[in-house]
Amino acid sequence: MQDSMKVCTGNFGKHAQSIEAYKKLGGYSTISKSLFEMSQFEVIDRVQRAGLRGRGGAGFPTGMKWSFVPRNTGKPVYIVVNADEGEGGTYKDHFLLLEDPHRLIEGLIIAGWALGARTAYIYARGEFLPCIESVNKALNEAYAAGYLGENIMGTKFSFDIFVHRGAGAYICGEETALINSLEGQKGQPRLKPPFPAVAGAWASPTCVNNVETIMSLPWIFSHPVEEYTKMGTPRAHGTKVFCVSGDVKRPGLYEAPLGTPLMEMLTSEEYCQGIIGNLKGVIPGGSSCPPLLPEECENATLDYECMASLKTMFGSGAIIVFNDTHNAVDILDVLGHFYSHESCGQCTPCREGTGFAKRVLDSILRGEGHDGDIELLQGISAGFGGTTICPLSISLGGPLNVYTRKYRADFEEYIAKNPNHAEPRLRPTVRLGAYW
Amino acid sequence: MSHITGAIQDVANNILSYSKGPSPVEVLPSPADQFGHANPIQKQPTWGEIAPLLETAEVKARVADLLSRYPVAQGALLEVLWIAQDAIGWLPHEAIRWAADVCECSAPHAYGVSTFYTMYKHVPTGRFLLQFCHNISCHLRGAESMLEYARRVLDLKPGETTKDGLFTIVEVECLAACGNAPAMIVNDDFATNVENGELTLKPGECLTPERLDKILQWCRDRAAKYPKEPPREVLGGIVKGHGGHPGAPGATAKPQVSDYAPPCPVLGVNALVDENGATLTWKGAPEFTELTVEKNANGTWTEVGKPGVKDKQFVDPEGKIGDEYRMIAVSGTRTAKPSQVCKAKAAPPPPPEAPAAAPATAKKVG
Repeated sequence: MQDSMKVCTGNFGKHAQSIEAYKKLGGYSTISKSLFEMSQFEVIDRVQRAGLRGRGGAGFPTGMKWSFVPRNTGKPVYIVVNADEGEGGTYKDHFLLLEDPHRLIEGLIIAGWALGARTAYIYARGEFLPCIESVNKALNEAYAAGYLGENIMGTKFSFDIFVHRGAGAYICGEETALINSLEGQKGQPRLKPPFPAVAGAWASPTCVNNVETIMSLPWIFSHPVEEYTKMGTPRAHGTKVFCVSGDVKRPGLYEAPLGTPLMEMLTSEEYCQGIIGNLKGVIPGGSSCPPLLPEECENATLDYECMASLKTMFGSGAIIVFNDTHNAVDILDVLGHFYSHESCGQCTPCREGTGFAKRVLDSILRGEGHDGDIELLQGISAGFGGTTICPLSISLGGPLNVYTRKYRADFEEYIAKNPNHAEPRLRPTVRLGAYW
Repeated sequence: MSHITGAIQDVANNILSYSKGPSPVEVLPSPADQFGHANPIQKQPTWGEIAPLLETAEVKARVADLLSRYPVAQGALLEVLWIAQDAIGWLPHEAIRWAADVCECSAPHAYGVSTFYTMYKHVPTGRFLLQFCHNISCHLRGAESMLEYARRVLDLKPGETTKDGLFTIVEVECLAACGNAPAMIVNDDFATNVENGELTLKPGECLTPERLDKILQWCRDRAAKYPKEPPREVLGGIVKGHGGHPGAPGATAKPQVSDYAPPCPVLGVNALVDENGATLTWKGAPEFTELTVEKNANGTWTEVGKPGVKDKQFVDPEGKIGDEYRMIAVSGTRTAKPSQVCKAKAAPPPPPEAPAAAPATAKKVG
């Protein structure tokens, strides 16, 4: 793919961190009088016509999300950039912030104009100190150049961007938890409604967008809409940054049009250059997505609809490949450990269920599994759906259900290692004294 | 009895090995073994011991900057905790209390927040905190063996510190460096290699035992070169020129000015003239803080009076049939468009039993 057609990663490897270099590469061309002559509704309409969908995982149309934000309620509108990526396999925001911080600022100014916002926050996870340094340096340059601050380009529009450093909680990637964290509280998700678009940060209208979504805006506004819509599939336009990790020869970040065949991404010279060993499965969108078997990968394309038809999720574009030297029990145990550690503890099914699943998986892995454990795990998974405030429990529930079905032989093999596997598992009805 | 105690202890230890019968009673792991969580055994310094670290000019400037960024001081809590942790190296109770005071929230709230997030340290750690990712991508590429190697080389268990106080190793969840799996963080920097005396994270470079050795050697060299870790802005440097949040203490920015006036929240203005003058009634959502009645006097709109926000009617004693009235609603600093103009009409004759002062239309409004 040509660099000029790359929406987000076009400046990678070109040392675009400084404002001079970024402007030389065509940056800040959209921040002009013509942008501020467009009305807010025209800006939103353009994003809607481009068909940009949220790149954080859910794939919700961005223009529609913006149109939900009420105007003139007498309260300020906040834009919050979600740079709290922590889902296993996802690492695009890390490098997007490191390599091209000015593009984020440019995108934020467009979004700020569209929403009539005065203040934007970039919520970066605590581990991203190098990224925060990179963004703060860029912010200093943008303020000095007059792209931020009071009365930008002589208009009445004033805009400030602040970086907020989180402190290590995966759950803060959920938008209402992120807002709680921004307010200086524990990052526990809130009940919806009210939706953040109506009452988010400090009870004001708030729009939470992913880093990649915001970084797509400068390209969309500096090119004709048709150029964006002709990339991708009829229902999902544009490109996506895919983060490939696991057992491939060249893991890394690759920007490709939506609808690219999965196997092309994994095997072509342009992208990952092949799989190490024999393919056993591919997780298409981050650790919470159910895996695909090799035969399902053959005809899979990387877009929202195809992944939904394969009963998995497109997610954040984090492709994790594993070969047949790994067994599914081990992988699921890692996921169980992750989700039980990261459960915020608010809802009982998630707090107890994820820990229960983890302990059952641990015991299977130790060779102390029992017959019926597979059904037990699937039962735990069934208890998650619709019983919790946020989808963290379902993020484990999906994999629990699908790994046990698709890789049942692995589980049976491990359970058979227990000489007493036919005995029923003793399950405590009361769990006492767990210290967290 | 011992059987039951054993079982309870098993449950408490999250061990589900009932098939073997009661296992020997194990001691619960001390929370001190678990990095990042509250530790009641930890000796806490007094405020006098940590005050010189927190009451410096730099910290004060930084805190003032942070407080100006949020409409509510509590928003800065996470950042202020970071500053305290950076200054002291970990978060003693008194530092959390200080952060709570700064951010105008209660100390228990600040303590709860600091224990919720895993990156706040409640125990002192070694000078170099080595954080090994053990999430899925790193696990697939051999994170376990890297951690095992580090444990063997440093003779440590996760959560422990070496005797020379240099290294602490911990296992953490996904670090968002899966392309470099297995990956690690040294203090605040991602590291999979050392080049030209600096830690690097280059695309496609993963951690190997040789590279880990180089990183450990880098740490030891640094410790020999600098007796104390050089100060580093944990929040990535101060951004100059921002106006701060309009509603925050000490902020300089003005609120957003918009040319767009919202539609008038006052609807259905009606004016009826009787012997008391013109009586205006209206319907309106309680979205305004100020209301003004204006009258058309030969082409210019002049103010007649200001009814209260909760009033349901307004009487203009000089009103005549044919006068034009409109209303202006203000919400905070924002003025809405004027309401529709209404022409005063003659009041219908009052029903015989109703008092003349209360027009029939006023009842509908309530």
